[in-house]
Amino acid sequence: MTTATLETPAQAKPAKQKVILCEGNEAAALGVALARPDMVAVYPITPQSSLVEHVAKLIADGKMDADIVDAEGEHSVLSVLQGGALAGARTYTATCGPGLAFMFEPYFRTSGMRLPIVMSIVTRDGITPQSVWGGHQDAMTVREVGWVQVYCETVQEVLDTTIMAFKIAEHHDVMLPVNVCLDGNYLSYGTSRVELPDQAEVDAFMGVKDVNWHVALDPHRPMAVDPLTGGSGGKGPSTFVRYRKGQCRGMQNSLRVIEEVHEEWAQRFGRSFAPLVEEYRLDGADYAIMTLGSMTGAAKDAIDEARDAGRRVGLIKIKTFSPFPVEALMKSLGKVQAVGVVDRSVGFRWNCGPMYQETMGVLYRLGRHVPSMSFIGGLAGADITVGHFHRVIEATEKLLSAPAPIEPVWLNEKD
Amino acid sequence: MGKSYNTIAFDANKCDGCGDCMTACATAKVGVGDTARSRIQIVGSADDGFELALCRQCGDPKCVMVCPAGALTKNFDTGVIEWNDAKCVDCLLCTVGCSYAGIALDAGSGHVAKCDTCDGAPACVPACPHDALTYVTTSRIYNEVGDWEDLFAPGLAGCQGCNTELLMRHTLRRVGPETVLATPPGCVPGMGSVGFNGSTGTKVPVFHPLLTNTAAMLAGIKRQYKRVGREVNALAIAGDGGASDVGFQSLSGAAERNEQILFMVVDNEGYMNTGMQRSSCTPYGAWTSTTPIGKGSGGMPSQGKTQDAKNLPLIMVNHRCEYVATASTAYMEDLYDKLDKAIQASKRGFAYLHVYSPCTTGWRFPTDQNMEVARKAVETNFVMLWEYNRTDGLRFTRPVDDPLPVTEYLRAMGRFRHLSPDQISHIQSKVVENLAFVQQMAHRQSA
Repeated sequence: MTTATLETPAQAKPAKQKVILCEGNEAAALGVALARPDMVAVYPITPQSSLVEHVAKLIADGKMDADIVDAEGEHSVLSVLQGGALAGARTYTATCGPGLAFMFEPYFRTSGMRLPIVMSIVTRDGITPQSVWGGHQDAMTVREVGWVQVYCETVQEVLDTTIMAFKIAEHHDVMLPVNVCLDGNYLSYGTSRVELPDQAEVDAFMGVKDVNWHVALDPHRPMAVDPLTGGSGGKGPSTFVRYRKGQCRGMQNSLRVIEEVHEEWAQRFGRSFAPLVEEYRLDGADYAIMTLGSMTGAAKDAIDEARDAGRRVGLIKIKTFSPFPVEALMKSLGKVQAVGVVDRSVGFRWNCGPMYQETMGVLYRLGRHVPSMSFIGGLAGADITVGHFHRVIEATEKLLSAPAPIEPVWLNEKD
Repeated sequence: MGKSYNTIAFDANKCDGCGDCMTACATAKVGVGDTARSRIQIVGSADDGFELALCRQCGDPKCVMVCPAGALTKNFDTGVIEWNDAKCVDCLLCTVGCSYAGIALDAGSGHVAKCDTCDGAPACVPACPHDALTYVTTSRIYNEVGDWEDLFAPGLAGCQGCNTELLMRHTLRRVGPETVLATPPGCVPGMGSVGFNGSTGTKVPVFHPLLTNTAAMLAGIKRQYKRVGREVNALAIAGDGGASDVGFQSLSGAAERNEQILFMVVDNEGYMNTGMQRSSCTPYGAWTSTTPIGKGSGGMPSQGKTQDAKNLPLIMVNHRCEYVATASTAYMEDLYDKLDKAIQASKRGFAYLHVYSPCTTGWRFPTDQNMEVARKAVETNFVMLWEYNRTDGLRFTRPVDDPLPVTEYLRAMGRFRHLSPDQISHIQSKVVENLAFVQQMAHRQSA
């Protein structure tokens, strides 16, 4: 299964699920609690702060049994968790924007050490210009560092995906850290109806914790972790290649594992989410627009209206951005004659959105010319409305008959 | 592993040649105060002082080797070289074999006689009115910990003359095998403790933290073992650069949270492993590869580092850690004492040990001078040895009442060779100022 739709028939829903109303940051915290980490490390930053506040309160209230480390900065937050993971702990944190930037040094290392740490990125635009509002620039900037990165569309998906992320990260064929990306402002503070899974059922889903079988700092199993590796002599080159190839293999394996875990989730809890790529009304479409994250809700409304108005347009949503789901996306793009890609961040090198840039690579592999163009919107907290998406649809439709523009379209330029 | 023993030590500076020790010896051994028959002999030296002629109870005794009759033997329980009169043939070869005039003909008996330490209570020692003689246990550390397992592999690749390897081996064998060791980038992993391409130099779990996050990673490790009820020591052996500069934030954070870590800084006053660059622990005036000597411009010559060193251990005192101490490899008993206290303190909270460690390569001195340089640093008060805990405050463990001028320290090294008289007087005044500051803390806290 490489694609799914919301119309996928649900299994019999477990009876015990409680329904609550909460914001995305609280949903993430509740998901973390259900996954039972041993250790969380926190440092506040807008718009992530209420997430770690919720985690701290859950622990203070005895609703979550984890060691909480109020570290002095994001750099130490991730470093504490690396130590915890190497000693066998299931670990969690959350950050965004400048915090993620400050964390970069240990961030790069987490994937290299194959530590299955789960970290929410409550996405925030990059500074400068100074800004505290949502945007994907932070997560996009670190997309090439060997973390699995998944983007959520709804508050319910935030909760469910946060739990699934631990299982994906800790799968023995993956053993990589996972970012659960939830849009700052729109998902972090957006309040929705959420079904809360039962703890015992989540426990059964999670299985036995085994996070440091492959690398550990344990006097019972003494080993040197991360000795100097590489250089041009001896077994250096081949040893380094072995590490890097293993990381790449773990990334590729994660595509399969993400699908399997989503499938199991659907069977156990009756909620189905497209694991890699979601198609929405793509059948019978001549062209498509592509989205990522919470903007997809408005995009789907626009697609419905356009379809009702007779336009032959569908939608492709990316959930798993890293590793990029090339095969799954090829299948979806294979159905259309043109595509418009909407990014919530900027790719400075190509003067387009980062997801558009990745998509161009997939289109090349498709071996067929598919006209495409880049849209950039929703920067620094700006809204991407149904109206914006109608402009996206109209512009993409023109690709069927006119040359594609090279310049991106900046959706909020005149807002 | 062998053993070493107590010995009668002689301080020539305190001896006035009164001969009381000889009288006491002769009285104890032959019943009369005839100094000619004493087994300890004080003799005039070439520089108008006094020297000691006494059996050293050698570990490799020449007298035993040359004796043709088997009359001399080393007792490996007491360390004393014993003479057996029943076997002795009075050939006196032993008196020629000894370099210390420690065995000689006793005319009163007609046989050789030598010191037997009076069975561990030598009569000469209490007889000295000037404390020039002491019966000392210089080898306590060797005897007590020498048989403990060395938890580093043989053949670490430090520079010739470096004492950091010595420090590492002593530290880890003392802390023991139930330890996770962090060695952030620097000399400690540079000499192969973590290893290269799959081989390691350490027998306990060991890792390279980043230069920046040693204390944070150790905190995570320690907390998880606490959570699952396992007693595991979290030990860092870090350099001064990673601790005082780029890693200071995580160090300070971990200290503030009172994480149960033993954090040892090996202070060689710069980034020596990367090529001897300046750190914030580099002292004023020192040459480093990023504070080089040159004629400068505008008549302002470049004369080494222009700022004073950051005093990291005092900063750690201000975190109110469980334990903070400074130490030196020239004073191993003091270091061991502090190591023991730091290990215990790290079971309750953050323990910080700052060890001054001269760098043969980077400080520019001969490879056989490391201990001498370390000792001179203390004797001039350039470095002060003290310890702190929250209950007792700060106290000097080895106060230097009559310090040598700082030039005695500075001239031992090439890195200070260029100093101008003004720079030297700046350093001397800083030594006085720093001493007064720490003394004030010690007095205030003991009051």
